[in-house]
Amino acid sequence: MYVAHLRLRDFRNYPRLDVDFSPGFHLLLGDNAQGKTNLLEAIYLLATLRSFRGASSEQLVRHGQRWYFVGCNLVGPARHDIKLFWSATQRKLTLDGQDVRRLADYLGTLRAVVFCSEDLQLVKGPASRRRRFMDLLLSQTQPTYLPTLQRYMRAVRARNALLKHAIVDEAALDGFTNEVVRAGNEIMKQRRNLAPKLGEMLRLAYRNMSGAPEELRTIYKPSVDGDLAVALAQSRQRERVQRITLFGPHRDDLVLLLDDKPASVYASEGQKRTIALAMKMAQTEYVTALTGSPPILLIDDVMGELDNKRRAGFLPLLELARKSGGQVFLTCTAENWPHDLALDLTRWRVQNGRLSKVG
Amino acid sequence: MRSLPPAVAELIAALSQLPGIGPRTAERLALFLVQGPKETAEDLARALVSARERVVHCNICGALTETQPCAICGDPSRDISVVCVVERPVDILLIEKAGTYRGRFHVLGGKLSPIDGIGPEDLRIAELESRIDQEPIREIILALPTDVEGDATSHYLAKRLSQKGVKTTRLARGLPAGSALEFADELTLARALEDRHPLDSGSQP
Ligand SMILES: Nc1ncnc2c1ncn2[C@@H]1O[C@H](COP(=O)(O)OP(=O)(O)OP(=O)(O)O)[C@@H](O)[C@H]1O
Ligand SMILES: [Mg+2]
Ligand SMILES: [Zn+2]
Repeated sequence: MYVAHLRLRDFRNYPRLDVDFSPGFHLLLGDNAQGKTNLLEAIYLLATLRSFRGASSEQLVRHGQRWYFVGCNLVGPARHDIKLFWSATQRKLTLDGQDVRRLADYLGTLRAVVFCSEDLQLVKGPASRRRRFMDLLLSQTQPTYLPTLQRYMRAVRARNALLKHAIVDEAALDGFTNEVVRAGNEIMKQRRNLAPKLGEMLRLAYRNMSGAPEELRTIYKPSVDGDLAVALAQSRQRERVQRITLFGPHRDDLVLLLDDKPASVYASEGQKRTIALAMKMAQTEYVTALTGSPPILLIDDVMGELDNKRRAGFLPLLELARKSGGQVFLTCTAENWPHDLALDLTRWRVQNGRLSKVG
Repeated sequence: MRSLPPAVAELIAALSQLPGIGPRTAERLALFLVQGPKETAEDLARALVSARERVVHCNICGALTETQPCAICGDPSRDISVVCVVERPVDILLIEKAGTYRGRFHVLGGKLSPIDGIGPEDLRIAELESRIDQEPIREIILALPTDVEGDATSHYLAKRLSQKGVKTTRLARGLPAGSALEFADELTLARALEDRHPLDSGSQP
C-alpha cells in the first residue's frame, strides 16, 4: 500500500500542500524545524488518528487558524480516499466519501509504522507504553480487538467511579465487574496469542541488528496469573482502600528480557536503542505477515543515530518494503542522510512548510 | 447578532436547548419562524403546549401516554404474567413493531452509569419490585441495550430480582444502544489507545 496523494490544509506549519507520491523511497531533507516530522505526523494521523508525538488536535492546527484538514488517496489492493477534518466544534472522518461511524471500521485502512526517537520509551518507559504497543498492533490486525478494548475501558471507568463512593453499591459493582471480566479475558487472550509470535520476530530482529550473542526474550505478563474474576473478588478489601480496579489488562506488561534480565533496568543505552528499533521492525513484520502487505514506514531521523552495524541490520527491512510495492518516508537533515541507501529514491526538500522535488 | 431584536435572541437561546440543535440551526429556525406565516408559529406553539400538557408517564409501566393507564397496561387481552423491561419509552415502540410480544412493559428510565452518577435509586427499579409484589408476574424479560452499561444493568437486575422469586430472561441480542455512537464519542473512547490518559492514577506500574 502507498500514499499516492497527500493533501494538507492548515496542518502544523503547512498552510496548504498537495503532493503526489510514487511507491518506494522518499527522502525528506531539510534543516531543523522546517516540517519534516510534521509530514510524517500527518500520514501517521490518518493511520491511527493519533499524533505519534502525543500532540492534541488543537496543537495540530496551524497557528492562528481554526481547523485543519488532512486527506490522502491510498493505493493498495483497493483504492481509498480518506478525509479528516478537525475544528473545536466539528470533527469529521470520511472513507471513500462515507462518514466513519465506528473507529473499528476504519483502523487498518492505512497501516503505518513510525520509527522515531520516542521509541526508546518502549524499553525505558512505563508498562503503559508497551500496552499501547500491543493495543495498536492488535487494533490494526484484529477487527474485534478495539471494540473490546473500548468496552473494557468503559467498564473499568464505571467500576472505578463506583469504588470512589463512600458506600460502595456491591450489587452494581458486581454488574460492572462482570463486564470487566468478560472483556478483560478476551483482551488477555488476544495479547497472549500475540506475544510468542511477536517475541520470536523481535528476537531475530534484535539478533540481526546487534550481531551480539545476547538473547532478547519477550514475555507477556498479565496482571493476574489465574482467573481475573477470582482475583477481583479476592482484592475487594484492597480495592475498598485504594478505590480503583486493581487487576485486569490495564495493568498488564510486556516484559523485555536481555539474557533473562529486565532490559529496562540492565540494558545499556545502545542496547535499549537496538531493542526499540527491533520492536518496530517486529511490528512491521507482524503486520506484513498478517495482512499480506507491508505497512508504510515513517522513519523520523533515526538513521543518523545508528552505527553502521545496526544500520546494516535495518536496511533489509527497507529493501523489503520497497520490493513489495510499499512506501518508505525517511527524514534527514542534509548532513546525515544515509549514503548507503539505494539510489532510486525520490528526494524532497522541506522548507518552511513547503515541499519541492530535488533533482 | 447585535442587530437582532431581543425576542429573536431569546427564541434562539430557547431553541438551542433542544438536543441536536446547534447555534447555527437554532438561528435559522428562529429567523424562519419570525418571518414565515404567522399560523406556522401559532400552530407550532399550540402543538408544543398541548403535547406537553397531555403526555404523561403511565403510572404502571412508565410509557408515554395520554390516558392513565396507557393503552397496553389497559388492554385486557395482554398477558399480565410477563413483563418486558426496557430502558426508554421509545424502546416499547421497537418491540411492538416486531408484533410478536403479548406481555406488558416496564420502563427503567435509564441504565446504571456510575460515570454519570446514575445509580439503582435513579432508575424505576423499586416500582418494578412493587409491581412484582402486586401483579401475578411470573417472568421478567430484560431487553436493555447491549453496551457496557446496559449489560451491567441487566446483570444487576437479574441478581436483584432473583430474590423476588421471578424468572428473568434476556433477549438473545438486546436492543441496539440508544443512539449510534457518534464519531466524536468514539474518539474520546479511543483513549483506549492513549497512554496520556491513564484509567486512574494506579494504572502506572
Ligand atoms: N500548529 C502549528 N502551527 C504552525 N507551526 C507549527 C505548528 N506546530 C509546529 N509548528 C512548527 O513546525 C516546525 C517544526 O516542524 P517539524 O517538527 O516537522 O520540524 P522538522 O523539520 O522535523 O525539524 P527537525 O529536523 O528539527 O526535527 C517548527 O517551526 C514549529 O514551530
Ligand atoms: Mg523532526
Ligand atoms: Zn402502561
